[in-house]
Amino acid sequence: MHRNRRFIIGGLIIVAALAYIIYGGMREAIVYFVTPSELKATEAASVDKFLRMGGMVVNGSLQKDVKNLTYRFELTDGTASFPVFFRGVPPDLFTEGKGAVVEGRIGPDGVFQATTIMAKHAEEYSPHADGKDGYPKSFVPGKESAQQ
Amino acid sequence: MTATLGHTSIFVALLFALWGVVSPILAYRSNSERYFAFTRIAILAQFALVTLAAASLIYGLVTTDFSIRYVAFNTTRATPVYYRVTGLWGALEGSLLLWEWILIIFSGLVAWIYWGRQRETIPWVLMVFSIVSAFFLGVIAFVSNPFETISPVPADGRGLNPLLEDANMMTHPPLLYTGFVGLTVPYAFAMAALIRGKVDEAWIVPPRRWTIIAWFFLTAGNLVGAWWSYHVLGWGGYWAWDPVENAAFMPWLPATAFLHSVQVQERRRMLKVWNLSLIIIAFSLTIFGTFLTRSGILSSIHAFSSGPVGGVFLVFLSFVLLSSFGLLAFRADLLKGQPELNSMVSRESAFLLNNIVLVSALFTIFLGTIFPLLSEAIAGTQVSVGAPYFNSVTVPLFLLLVFLMGVGPMIAWRRASWDNLKRNFLWPAAASLLAGVGLFIWKVRDFLPLLAFTLLAFVVLTIFYDTALALRARHRNAGEGVIRGLVTLARRNQRRYGGLVVHLGVVLVILGIAGSMTYSIEREATMNLKEHLNVGPYLIQFEGLKGSQQPTHFRVEGSFRVFHEGDTWGVLSPALKFFPNQQSPVGRAVHRSTIGEDIYLILSGFSELDKNQATLKVLVRPLVVWIWVGGFVIALGTLLAILPLGKTSPETA
Repeated sequence: MHRNRRFIIGGLIIVAALAYIIYGGMREAIVYFVTPSELKATEAASVDKFLRMGGMVVNGSLQKDVKNLTYRFELTDGTASFPVFFRGVPPDLFTEGKGAVVEGRIGPDGVFQATTIMAKHAEEYSPHADGKDGYPKSFVPGKESAQQ
Repeated sequence: MTATLGHTSIFVALLFALWGVVSPILAYRSNSERYFAFTRIAILAQFALVTLAAASLIYGLVTTDFSIRYVAFNTTRATPVYYRVTGLWGALEGSLLLWEWILIIFSGLVAWIYWGRQRETIPWVLMVFSIVSAFFLGVIAFVSNPFETISPVPADGRGLNPLLEDANMMTHPPLLYTGFVGLTVPYAFAMAALIRGKVDEAWIVPPRRWTIIAWFFLTAGNLVGAWWSYHVLGWGGYWAWDPVENAAFMPWLPATAFLHSVQVQERRRMLKVWNLSLIIIAFSLTIFGTFLTRSGILSSIHAFSSGPVGGVFLVFLSFVLLSSFGLLAFRADLLKGQPELNSMVSRESAFLLNNIVLVSALFTIFLGTIFPLLSEAIAGTQVSVGAPYFNSVTVPLFLLLVFLMGVGPMIAWRRASWDNLKRNFLWPAAASLLAGVGLFIWKVRDFLPLLAFTLLAFVVLTIFYDTALALRARHRNAGEGVIRGLVTLARRNQRRYGGLVVHLGVVLVILGIAGSMTYSIEREATMNLKEHLNVGPYLIQFEGLKGSQQPTHFRVEGSFRVFHEGDTWGVLSPALKFFPNQQSPVGRAVHRSTIGEDIYLILSGFSELDKNQATLKVLVRPLVVWIWVGGFVIALGTLLAILPLGKTSPETA
């Protein structure tokens, strides 16, 4: 009995330690997924929360400064749109009219400050129907001028 | 024609698999040896038929028989022959066939090796193989058929995803599948032992050996995957805690745990139920991994597509878990009565702790992987669990594991005396503390990396110190020099020294991970011609863009001259590849490795070709190269542990 009790205590300590590191890890790393309209509705409560927002890049909203690597655009889910600011290099598939997921926080100016942009990949790899395209004259991330 | 042959083979093989499941039961009920012999015939017939089916599909791929839908979707006329062959695992249907093929090769090997030696057990082992094989054959025959035909026959195929056209993709999936499927062998032996009710120590010998083999392939598969990610995917990392990476890594943890705890069972007849559970869990995780990858319930670059396959795997997974643990509970009486732990300071307790840590790591990774599913199912909120979670929970666990890696192999069984502890650990501990202080004075000021490097030094020093003591003994007793002594030691106790070499390899892998996790530098900039960028000790100068038409794509290359502390290191040329049938370019990152660090260049974009303005991402990642070196050392150690090099002593550690 004495031996069993020792094992139970040891087990409890291990479980508690594990629960503690899992809780700590989750609290820091869990990211909630919101749509632009959900974020609009809960804007005040969402300040300072690390979030992931998915939507479509609004046509005509993308302003970029390639030299300084800054991007401003709006994401929409069809009902509402939310302004986003990003500094860095977005993924190759990121462009206007396409789906994108951004990660970050709402800044003091009410703009979503993205630290990461993830472009939504096509589900299956599908080639163009009409064969060869012209070679790319330029390729600026965020703009698919490559394929004419 | 090819399609019909392949599909028919699968159907006939399925019949043999079912026969292989039924015949040992008939043999048991009628007490007839004849039915037992059928189990082997069933396996050999499946082996022949599945090989025929796989050969048909490979033949279809190589001859670009576009009447087969799978071929049309995974090759083109322009695809080189070797990438046509690797099309076998380029998509879901083919990779299931590959899985089944490897499974049946393993079963055939087991039937061939053990038939004469373990006549009583083997029919049941083969029955378990036939159950698993019947499941996969059923899926291939009815749910996910690689031999489905297409009409009208297209003029040309679609081709593989260009990212998969890479030498590592030729090896990464088969290695990983071999590791996954290899875990079926210990599972089959464990189930056979439970079915027969013979759970003494004899059954554990084949599973131990086959787990080492499966473990080796799992390790190699994961490391080659990391290498591919680093060298081809071009994001500068090698591990993203992607759900599918986790699926590939999770079975490794109980397999590793088993390789350690099995020694406790051999030596002390303890942990019987625990060992059986580890084998069942490891096997179940391979099925779970396939479910996760193939169901499309999680988004991942690895996930092929969604479909009914996921559900079928989930049903099979439930069947495996219920029947295996049910059987374990049914035989619980036979597994009772084991010796107790003598002392907390002993090798068995070090191994027990190692197992607890490995299983805890498994649990935390499993939880993080399925948490988004749970959250959406229970609370209805979409969440994601990113790399920071996995890093923050696994780092302390793995550091503890590194410490145990130093203690476990050297501490005495049963009860370590104070003398034993002093003799084995005093000098290594003192020297590694000294190394830690040295690192602190030099430049490592952060707690976690400092702790990691100190513990790694401790492991290496315990291994070297122990080997040095053994060599001194050889010198005294037999007058052998260092080389002769090492050869004698390794030959006398292959498993122990193989294991220690594997530990050294693991130390190197962890060294690389710790270094690159903690001291990386990242910079991004848009550069004009001849402009400079300073990144750590490096200076990078942009020297221009160049475009060229390649056979399969158009390639745009940026030239960057790299200077390291004033010395020129030559020009690195990261590129973007524009495939005509892909919507966006595929990056080709380049890097240069030294033993200290890698410099890694990614071309992110460029302005008009003649205007010579490019956006560059630069990463400096310390010690990465040691991950790959560690992989080779692990391979060497595994070979030393399992190859029949000389007489192995019964004294095993």
